[in-house]
Amino acid sequence: MKLFNIIVALLALTLSACHSVEEYADNPRGNFEALWTTLDEHYCFFGEKGVDWDDVYLRYSPKINDKMTDEELFEVCATMLEELRDGHTNLSSSFDVSYYRRWWSDYPQNYDARLIEEHYFNFNYRQSGGFMYGILPENIGYINYSSFSSAIGEGNLDQVLYYLSTCDGLVFDVRDNGGGNLDNVGKIIARFITEPMLAGYIQHKTGPAHDAFSEPYPFYYEPAQQGRIMWGKPTAVLVNRSTFSAANNFVSIIRHLPNVSIVGSTTGGGGGMPFTSELPNGWGIRFSSAPILDPMGNQTEFGCEPSEGCSVDLDPVAALEGRDTMLDFAVALLLK
Amino acid sequence: MKRVALLLIFVAGLLKLSAQEPIRPVSSAYMIEAGSSQLADTYLSPMKYGGWSAALAYERMQAMRFDPENWVMQLAIRGEVDRALNNLGNVATWRANISARWAMMHRWRQLAPGLTLAVGGATGIEGGCFYNTRNGNNPASAKAAWTIDATAFAAYNFRLGKLPLTLRYQAVLPVIGVFFSPQYDELYYEIYLGNHSGLAHCAWFGSRFAMTNLLTVDMHFGATSLRMGYRNEILSSKVANIVTRATTHAFVLGIAHEWLSLSRRTAPSTDARIISALY
Repeated sequence: MKLFNIIVALLALTLSACHSVEEYADNPRGNFEALWTTLDEHYCFFGEKGVDWDDVYLRYSPKINDKMTDEELFEVCATMLEELRDGHTNLSSSFDVSYYRRWWSDYPQNYDARLIEEHYFNFNYRQSGGFMYGILPENIGYINYSSFSSAIGEGNLDQVLYYLSTCDGLVFDVRDNGGGNLDNVGKIIARFITEPMLAGYIQHKTGPAHDAFSEPYPFYYEPAQQGRIMWGKPTAVLVNRSTFSAANNFVSIIRHLPNVSIVGSTTGGGGGMPFTSELPNGWGIRFSSAPILDPMGNQTEFGCEPSEGCSVDLDPVAALEGRDTMLDFAVALLLK
Repeated sequence: MKRVALLLIFVAGLLKLSAQEPIRPVSSAYMIEAGSSQLADTYLSPMKYGGWSAALAYERMQAMRFDPENWVMQLAIRGEVDRALNNLGNVATWRANISARWAMMHRWRQLAPGLTLAVGGATGIEGGCFYNTRNGNNPASAKAAWTIDATAFAAYNFRLGKLPLTLRYQAVLPVIGVFFSPQYDELYYEIYLGNHSGLAHCAWFGSRFAMTNLLTVDMHFGATSLRMGYRNEILSSKVANIVTRATTHAFVLGIAHEWLSLSRRTAPSTDARIISALY
């Protein structure tokens, strides 16, 4: 009897101590509520973007009814997410992935890879890791890094920088670089610095409230190990609106180095590390959750502007004649 | 000469004491477990996942030297792997967990014929993680804990026909300790960058409730026993607004036996008592 009482007491304790997980029905209403609530509790840029999420709920909730199809529900939910104006926020179903494109589609593209490959290198360029590189006729080195998801090894960096070591300057082209692995940012920056550098700050939400954030935590980059090939000559970083996320972060850091100019147009932003979640119907959600600030403590969600006097667009008429006016501007800047 | 004589008397005394010491066989068991799992970790997803669970477990019990009649110790080591799917079955969450626990229990033998009751304390460590196959920057949720536990078992030795059986129920309930959890929406990348503040949390019933329920029957066919049973593991935690739940129900199948460690220099006395930890 004593044993029985102990077991009953323990089971009662078990049941009472369990922590609840809020559940939503797998129907249009339940999925909508789950989506809105997930963003409400985890999205990090409501304040910066002036989005009244409660008002968004009031406007979109009446559009939900239990007879709507998956396609219709997706359309309403995707349109609601567009209110956030965030390239890191997506809704993924088996038939579509929502994507807010206006952060780049409203701006000139300012980049044509073939223009450089054909008219500047006659397709005679080198590739190493994720780098496409070569030496321009003006004795300026050129590196194109199209994605921070492309792995770059220390050996790749040594080989590339050694090959370009006789050049008078370097154009580092991250136009159309949509981001990727932040580790690659540090790996490249490490070749441009000779002492530890404050690279920025990272924050996280500390609770569901829209203004619940941790103190910005500073993080630093170390120079590459002794014996590695370093770069200290003038550098121009070419950027466009599609320079996004990790590439945007790269620009926000390297712009603070001496001898480095940011050339082109304002980058696309994407200064919030995205989290992933899901809805009861299995659709995936991705959204900005952890802000990354630049070394001055500023938000980078809205992009980084070019250095003073370095704002330049690609001239489409010149492009027809085989000239990349942004690259030409950068080369001229380095030759000054 | 006098010193040598004294030394001989002392050694003889020790040997005599040793000969009178009861023999304390080690009861050990190797178990494989298979069953179901229910998983949820709101750091990864607000959804509950359901699937299978599999585990390997080792258990070692022995009466304690200082008072073998009344005290037993137990070492339990267990590794578990779970795989569960979301409601739609299009995303999986894996869970891996390894635990080790050492317990010391006071026991009361023959409370009724064949019935033993033991109650005591334990300390355990465990570590593992949840891994969601779809997530990008938040794919995993690491788990680690060190706890001080309460534990108790009741064992009943009886016969079914000519077959001796040992029926045992044991519960383990962590009471207090410390456990790891990132802050709400804190990326592991931030931890990797060096922000280690706020990762250790006090474990008590309100923040981290865990419980093990193990019901086994050992069928003594000879020197080796066949163990069959049921294990229920419960983990429920809430800290920094992150809720983690893992419940498994598993069928247990194992081999149990008792063994002795003998020294060639001090052979046990033939009339020494054998005090088993469990049987």
